[in-house]
Amino acid sequence: MDNETLGRSSRKTSMESLSRDKIQTVTSGTFTQLVLEAEGPIAVEFMSYGCAHCRAIEPVLEQVAEMVKTQEKIFRVNIAVEQELAGSYQIQGTPSLIMFLDGNEVGRVEGPSPTVSSVLTAVTQPFESGAEANG
Amino acid sequence: MTPQKQAKPILLFNDECTVCRHIAHWVQRSAQSKSGETSILVQPIGDDPGRLRSLNPNLDIWDAYETIHVLMPDGSMKLGGEAVAETLRNLPNTKWFAWSFATTIFGFRPFQVMLNVAYAILADVRPLFGCESCGKPRVLRPIHWVTKWARNLFAGAPHKSPSPHFSLSSAARRRPLAVSVAPVPQSSHS
Repeated sequence: MDNETLGRSSRKTSMESLSRDKIQTVTSGTFTQLVLEAEGPIAVEFMSYGCAHCRAIEPVLEQVAEMVKTQEKIFRVNIAVEQELAGSYQIQGTPSLIMFLDGNEVGRVEGPSPTVSSVLTAVTQPFESGAEANG
Repeated sequence: MTPQKQAKPILLFNDECTVCRHIAHWVQRSAQSKSGETSILVQPIGDDPGRLRSLNPNLDIWDAYETIHVLMPDGSMKLGGEAVAETLRNLPNTKWFAWSFATTIFGFRPFQVMLNVAYAILADVRPLFGCESCGKPRVLRPIHWVTKWARNLFAGAPHKSPSPHFSLSSAARRRPLAVSVAPVPQSSHS
């Protein structure tokens, strides 16, 4: 099964999980407090509800958020609403994942493949390399 | 959460999709009588999942972007080809033939099935008509690449996407309808 098929099938089977937002949405009003001033690793997905790729990645991202919830927080920014915020991070498209460590951007991935391994790597690898550099 | 009371069906459309916007525009114009009354309300899906759930608790924003939805006054929803048939039933210019979609022959609705297939094809080829955010149907990718190549050739700057799972953010820049759509009711949720 290729990635796109996986994305399509997983979105069909997880409609219930999609229907109630499991990943907290941050706005320009809460971004500073929840992301920039927060301690520890944080991944922010810049997305849009009209984006088919965002839809494909959503159940995967929710699964990954559940897997890493003890070490890392994952938030979502809707770029259709938060255009200034998206502009300030030079978001070229969706989905874009930006990883923050103690408020500083440490990595970004544009259009990850909608598979658990790909998304998990995208949201954890920047922190591992950062830890190695510090250690 | 209790759904908002509505007197007329509501057609929700994807305002990030050019084809959907044009069709919504046409429905909006067709639904208006000379006295200014509308037989069906036309609303963009928007970006607020909570607002959609206030219209109908079972309405998911991702589903709304995936498939056309008509919200009925009785609280039910019609999707896809059924939603198209319901829309046509509510338009003064098309209701004369829209009865055919309900016609049953030996328990089978042939015209509705044809409409469902036509809708499925249209929904699948939307990316070819300017819906960058709608994704790329796999079977149509070669056509999409040729269209994109030709567009770049004549339009100038190449259109590069770093990943096949990535939509350029131009999709999120909204272009308003020439005819204003029905006002979005304010939800009572917090």
